[in-house]
Amino acid sequence: MLYHISQGIKGLLKAKFSTVFAIIIITLSLLVIALFLLFIVNTQRLVESIHERMELEVFIDNSVDSLAVNNIRMEIDRIAGLKEVRYISKEEAAEYFVSQFDENIFDILDHNPLPASFRMKLEKDFRTSDKSNLIINQLKQINGIDDVIFRQDLLIILEKYMRIAFVFVLIVGGILAFGSIYLVSNTIKLIIFSRSEIINIMKLVGATKNFIRKPFIVEGIIQGLLGAALAILILIVALKIISIEIPNLLVMHTEIYWNILALGIIFGFLGSIFAMNKFIKY
Amino acid sequence: MINLYNVSFSYPTGEGVKGVNLQITPGEFVYLIGPSGAGKSTLLKLIYMDVFPQSGHIVVNGYNSLKFKKRYIPYLRRKIGIIFQDFKLLNDRSVFENITFVLQVTGTKRGDIKKRALKVLAEVGLSHKRNKMPQQLSGGEQQRVAIARALVNEPIILLADEPTGNLDPVAANDILNILDKINVKGTAILMATHSDKLVQGTRKRIVNIMNGKLIS
Repeated sequence: MLYHISQGIKGLLKAKFSTVFAIIIITLSLLVIALFLLFIVNTQRLVESIHERMELEVFIDNSVDSLAVNNIRMEIDRIAGLKEVRYISKEEAAEYFVSQFDENIFDILDHNPLPASFRMKLEKDFRTSDKSNLIINQLKQINGIDDVIFRQDLLIILEKYMRIAFVFVLIVGGILAFGSIYLVSNTIKLIIFSRSEIINIMKLVGATKNFIRKPFIVEGIIQGLLGAALAILILIVALKIISIEIPNLLVMHTEIYWNILALGIIFGFLGSIFAMNKFIKY
Repeated sequence: MINLYNVSFSYPTGEGVKGVNLQITPGEFVYLIGPSGAGKSTLLKLIYMDVFPQSGHIVVNGYNSLKFKKRYIPYLRRKIGIIFQDFKLLNDRSVFENITFVLQVTGTKRGDIKKRALKVLAEVGLSHKRNKMPQQLSGGEQQRVAIARALVNEPIILLADEPTGNLDPVAANDILNILDKINVKGTAILMATHSDKLVQGTRKRIVNIMNGKLIS
């Protein structure tokens, strides 16, 4: 193994210019991919916080008595996907009206027309338009419930934009990945050409195909690793600067750094495999 | 040991060999004589399976070209030594490193490498020049390094493709003497050459090739 690693490093040092170029391209590609991941993670964080604040409100028919309200509560509790269910009495609704409109309902009308209600939140796994629709239908079927209000349109818009962003990231990330692999492959091809003499001699004297290939795989992986390490370093420094200027603006998960490192290794490995499949044959 | 049965192979240019039947037994020394483009190198390439017969078949040390898989090539080549007119040495490595390189890439135990390299260098009389670079040697000496490299894996046959083509008569004679010695020790040799003069008076077997066909 030491032989392959030393040969791999020698090869990279021989093709300095193309090696540096490939490393820079890998770094740039991984940086752009990392920025997209950063965007997705932080958009998801924003969406989560919006989701967390979204409430379902179930209005109770004015004719329902307190015993029936208890039954409604029990039926709501039986529905999966709901949490933090709170009962808002007619009186609390009137107080809420004051806090919202700064005016007492009894100053406008001689009675309290506001119905009692239940307010509740959706559990994390149920915050999709399909699942929330299902819950709304179940709620509507409960006797004594007059109406169910939920800002579903916001949920639908959020889902739609998240999907578009995800597809965009996938396409651009794919193109960048392909470009990086292509460039690593070209660098390895140049190294293979520069060492065609030694490769031919190895073939003549009986070196196995795998033995000839290993140094080139090492070269590809080293390029990918260096490109990824550089991208991670730039990201850490950039995020540090941003967090000093605007604290808590961006969140970065450690897994993203590991993903970038893994992607770098994969780009380098695939690049060398493609080059060798074409140029190192028996 | 080496059997060619009605072997034909041609390149798109038309050069190649046609219907060749040839047997080489262990320890035999055979000269393959013919002009440039007669098919000598192609015949050698067929033996070390760099190219494969388009018709007929070859058996080399038990490897049959009809049942041959490309992954066997390295193991076949470890049993065949090959030398060329242009030596094909690695000019960025010393004489000694040119030899040890072969042992390294064929997976020889580290402890054996030095011993075996020094032994073959002694056989070709270059022990004292082991640390020189190939460019610091004469043509004849470079070919001796190539011979040492070909012998280091103890092949059953040495294929020599115009080994004296780039050498002056004295150096050429020197190479022939070394090949003789190697043959006496039991290694078969198939030497391709275009030079009739080189084989004048020899008692060894001579095979003539012309336009890809063997002529008796």
